[in-house]
Formats: sequence, structure tokens, C-alpha cells
Amino acid sequence: MHQALPYRTWVPTTGGGNSVGPSSATIEPSDDPMNPGVGMKDVTCVKKMVSENAVIVFGRRGCCMCHVVMRLLLGLGVNPTVFEVDEEDEAAVVDELSRVIAGEDAKEGRPQFPAVFMGGQLFGGLERVMATHISGELVPILKKAGALWL
Amino acid sequence: MNSSSTHFVTSRRIGIYEPLHQISTWGESFKTNGCPNTSASTIAELEAKLDNQSEDTSHGTPGPSEKYDQEATKPVDKVQRRLAQNREAARKSRLRKKAYVQELESSRVKLMQLEQELERARQQGLYIGGGLDAGHLGFSGAVNSGIAAFEMEYGHWVEEQSSQICELRTALHAHISDVELRILVETAMNHYFNLFRMKATAAKADVFYMMSGMWKTSAERFFLWIGGFRPSELLKVLVPQLDPLTDQQILDVCNLRQSCQQAEDALTQGMEKLQQILAEAVAAGQLGEGSYIPQLATALEKLEAVVSFVNQADHLRQETLQQMARILTVRQAARGLLALGEYFQRLRALSSLWATRPREPA
Repeated sequence: MHQALPYRTWVPTTGGGNSVGPSSATIEPSDDPMNPGVGMKDVTCVKKMVSENAVIVFGRRGCCMCHVVMRLLLGLGVNPTVFEVDEEDEAAVVDELSRVIAGEDAKEGRPQFPAVFMGGQLFGGLERVMATHISGELVPILKKAGALWL
Repeated sequence: MNSSSTHFVTSRRIGIYEPLHQISTWGESFKTNGCPNTSASTIAELEAKLDNQSEDTSHGTPGPSEKYDQEATKPVDKVQRRLAQNREAARKSRLRKKAYVQELESSRVKLMQLEQELERARQQGLYIGGGLDAGHLGFSGAVNSGIAAFEMEYGHWVEEQSSQICELRTALHAHISDVELRILVETAMNHYFNLFRMKATAAKADVFYMMSGMWKTSAERFFLWIGGFRPSELLKVLVPQLDPLTDQQILDVCNLRQSCQQAEDALTQGMEKLQQILAEAVAAGQLGEGSYIPQLATALEKLEAVVSFVNQADHLRQETLQQMARILTVRQAARGLLALGEYFQRLRALSSLWATRPREPA
């Protein structure tokens, strides 16, 4: 089931929609009110977030490419969840994500940030998102994943 | 000008050497100004001419002085002679100065021509650094080998592009088969993909060079967006050239333009965020303390991200080209590539015209 997540613009202080499970959620203040990031020390939530969100973007904190992906998806009318990864958590998160992916085709290998998951599956990075959008295939995929309603 | 002291002596003999000394002074100062060949020979010629004249004068003077052997007229004679020699010296000095100024003028014209030539050559990517261009602040002396290689490759790329455009033009007029036309289209497309590969390599060498579009001509740079043209803008230029399009094609092209625009906007916003991050990193701490190495170290790390932007922008350009090729028929694609190629040629020509436009002398 895919939730419609409230977009952070109207809620300057984080909290609500994104926190899942045991809230050892260290919610770091984000410089950018437009960016609904949730930093979590407990990385096992990663798997749950991937399965519970229509679209989720994993990216390093402050990464501008992650910002690009987010702006693109926002521009299309999608409410992407963004998981900002701290440097110290990076290895752990990548491991966790690799385990998530390994369930499907292992062709993707270790994911690189920013990593976009759609409908519970790894979609790809910024390049793939761009290419798919230019070829006109992104919107149908987003609809199929439940991230967009016509 | 060297003001070596000239000795003004009343003696007739030494008086002869006085104007010669002045001539050599003019010559010396002019030679040090660094205009080698013609000027030196001109001066030598002029010197020889004036030497002959002064010798004539000196030969002339003994004559009349013989007549005035009486004591009473001797001082008058000397005064007259000195005045004559002074007039002579002044005249020669004026002639020397005139020659000197003429040399300066012609050198100035030559310098302006050289500057223009360099500008033209630089626009074609044949000159490394472009030190005379006002856009290059400071040293172009440190030649980046990666960039030097790129500029050279780009020069060849433009030449190859020109010949491909000619081929496309001929092929379209000759109504060759679609199969043969497809080969030309593929070649032209791959040529652009090669450029993106070249740019990616050069971006690792100097990303700011790529971001500023330094290899491009001035008119092309006017349209710069993250190291190249905006794909959506190029589509606007191209589409009217492709008539007639089917309804489906019109729809597809419309969607492509919109997707391009959205992707461009996302990249632009990402760039703005990077600028903000960079500005914050540079300005961290107290501005004005005079020590800022740690801030710059942080900022340096952030700059790596600029390379990604150049790559992503080129990736977008490549994807747009490929999508257009999918939408269009082979013949339309050929026309489109021809139109695109000539559009760039026109912009380059415009840059040349602008660089060589008649200007008021400085």
C-alpha cells in the first residue's frame, strides 16, 4: 500500500509521515525546508521504507544531484520521500540496500547515490531517471508505481 | 629616449659629429622598442642619407670661409656656420622624429591585425589560452595539457563537422536512398556523441573551462547553459525546419520539448543549490580575519560536484538527440542534423564578424 505523504513545505519542523517503526529517529534539521529528510541511525528501517514508499530517493546529505532528482520528480507532480544519508551511515545503508536489491536481479550491484526506488524496486540513478523521462517512459512507470495519479 | 650628453663644442671638426650622435640616439631608442627588420633598415637608410647631406654641408663650409680670411669677419663667419649647422641638426632631428612616428603607426596597425588574427584562431580552438581575450583574467601561461588536447581535438571536430554538413546537403539534394542516408545520419549523431565524450574527459582536467564554454566562439557562449546549448532551445530552432510533421510527430516533439524543459529546470535548480553550498563554504566563519585555509579546503571538495553537472547536462543533450532520431524519419533526421549544423556555423560566423567589426581607434 502506498501512502500519500504530506509534503514538507507546509510543515517546517519534521515529524509525522516518514518515521516508521521504533522512533530512534534522529531527525536532523534540514537547511532546505523543501527537503523532507529523515536521518535514522537504525538502518533496518531502510528495507521497510523502500517497500512502503511509491518513490523514495536515497542520497547523501547535501548532495546536489539528489536535489536534481527531487526537483525533477516534484516537477512531475510526485511527492518523493528523500532519505538523506550521513557519511558515517553510508556504508551501512548501501549494504542494506544491496540486500534489498539482491532479491531481484543482482545486475545492479551496489547502488550508487542518488538511488531511486520505485514501487519497492531499484530504478536507478539520475542518469536513468533523465533518460527515461526524455524517452517519455518515466510518467507511465511512475503511475504504475502509484506515485502519480492522473 | 636615451639622453646621453651631446657635447656642444665650437670646434668645426667635432661639430660635424654632433648631428651624427643625435641620429644614433634616435636609432638606439627606436631599436630598443623591438620592431626589428624594416625599422632598422629604414633608419640606416635615413642615417646614410642624412650623413651624406651633412658631409656635403661640411665640404661646403670650407669654401666660403676661405673668402672671409680677414679677422673682422671671422667671428661672424663662425656664428653663421654654427647657426647653419644648428638649423641642419634641427632639420635632421625633425626628419628622424617623423620617420620614428611613422614606424610607430605602422607597428600599431600590425599589432591590431595580429590581435584580430589571434582572436579568430582562438575562436577556432587553435590557440591555447587566449591571453588577449578580456574574458581570461590573468595568466593563460599555465597550459593545462588536458585542455590543450581538447582544444586541438575540438578544432578537428569542427572541421569534420563542416564536411559532414556538406555531405548531408549534397545527399539531400541528390535524393539518395534512405539506407544510405541513414549511414550519414548515424555518422553525424556519433560525431556529437564523440564531442560529449571529449567534453567529459576535459571536464576532469578543468571543469571551469568547460562550464564557461571557453572553446566556443563568443556568440555561442551567449547561449551557454552548463557547458553547452540548452536542448529545449535547440528544439525550438529545429522544429520549424522539419515541416511537414505528422500529428503524432508533432505531439511527440511537444512532449520531448516539455521533458527537456523539466530536466533542464531540475539541473538548474541543482546548480543553484551547489552555488549556495559553495558560497556558504567559502564564507564560513568570520570574513575579515585574513586566514581561511580550512574554509577553502571544504570548498574544494564541493567543487567536485560541478563535474557531475557538466556530465549530466551533456547526457541530457545526448538523450534529446537520440529521442529526436526516434521520432523523425531518416530524411527528416538528416534535414534536422543539417539544420542544426548550419545553425552552429552561422553562430560561429557571427562571432567572427563581431570580432572583426570596424572599431574606432583606441
